[in-house]
Amino acid sequence: MLGKLHRHPLFVASALLVPWLTLAAPALLRLSGAPPSWAVLWLLPWAISDGPVSGALAGLGLGLLLDALTLDGATQIPALVLLGWWWGRLGRKGPPLERSFSLGLLALIGTFLLGLTLILQRLGLPPQLPLAGSLRTLLTQTLLTGLLAPMICSLLLLLWRQQNAPSRG
Amino acid sequence: MPFGRLPRVPSLQRVIQAWPWWLLLLALVGVRLSKGAMLTDAYALLSRPFWPGTAQREWLQSAQQLDQRSRLAHLEQDNQRLRTLLGLQRANPQEVTATVISREPEGWWKQLVLGAGELQGIRLGDAVVGPGGLVGRVASVTPTTARVALLTDSSSRIGVWVGRTQSMGLLTGVNGSRPELRFLVKDPQVRPGDVVVTSPASTLVPPGMSVGVIQSVDDKAVPAPTAMVQLSAPVEAIDWVQVLVQPRQAAP
Repeated sequence: MLGKLHRHPLFVASALLVPWLTLAAPALLRLSGAPPSWAVLWLLPWAISDGPVSGALAGLGLGLLLDALTLDGATQIPALVLLGWWWGRLGRKGPPLERSFSLGLLALIGTFLLGLTLILQRLGLPPQLPLAGSLRTLLTQTLLTGLLAPMICSLLLLLWRQQNAPSRG
Repeated sequence: MPFGRLPRVPSLQRVIQAWPWWLLLLALVGVRLSKGAMLTDAYALLSRPFWPGTAQREWLQSAQQLDQRSRLAHLEQDNQRLRTLLGLQRANPQEVTATVISREPEGWWKQLVLGAGELQGIRLGDAVVGPGGLVGRVASVTPTTARVALLTDSSSRIGVWVGRTQSMGLLTGVNGSRPELRFLVKDPQVRPGDVVVTSPASTLVPPGMSVGVIQSVDDKAVPAPTAMVQLSAPVEAIDWVQVLVQPRQAAP
């Protein structure tokens, strides 16, 4: 259930890039003002390479960090934990996930689900908010993350798979 | 997809052996509970060489001085009369100039992170202004940073005033690029182009401060008309802001 990635401090520390990029929010990598979901772009290759337990724990860690950096009102922890577990299962079962299209599609679905949980949490808060603004953010972030995933996730997956190769037998 | 068997419960020995990971988890929970205190402070420290220069800061200050000179007499007179009528205490906020070190005007959270915090006297709820008018209020602070909830964030609610028709309303963030103004009366008689300022009776933000201009009005909204407001402060382009630090009451 656990791979070898989490034994490398440098790879674990690479998770700090997620809050760093979230705060820096490079203007070149924004679509209509909305940034990509850096958490999804890091968590997807990590979970595929290191398994469901490591993926879920990484999702928990990232969720705690990102919740600390944002205003109160909604949490990303449940969605990231479930996505980490799901992607970890996908990485362990069936043929290895390598194709850019597959990674892009998984990132697209993951970002959409993550955004959907944020919208659902806010629907319960008074007063009832118009959905137009949230849907716009949801669609732009999903699209941008899906477009970046084949490039970023492929590279990270290649790097981390090499570390985990012996364990796959 | 079948999820198969659940993982077995690890033995006590394995749980103890994983103590570095428990420490890491504890540290992450600490960061979460402190709303990113060490994390944003570290970001502020490391990104300091890349902070915006002083050009816009000087421009901001001279523009604000010009604006203040032209409106001071009128606002002071109006402010004094209204606050006397309402029996409110006069507040004289001090200004702390701060640089914007992170911004998210169009993401899930409409927020700014400022490179000044508790050490500079900034506290929760302080109003933040940029060139053009009010930007938002401080939602959390660390020793060297402050997080600002923009007027467009869903957590933002402030009382505002349309001077032409003398109608009061509640400016509410709806997570879009523009906040929504919810009027308290059935027929506020406002129209696109009307200027919106903070409520003269406001105790949360300084009264009479520019907020924006009404862009469109929905007369059919229930229970009262609503309007979309174009904010006068361009959040996407602001590098420097001023935090209006309210004077703290001395302990009895």
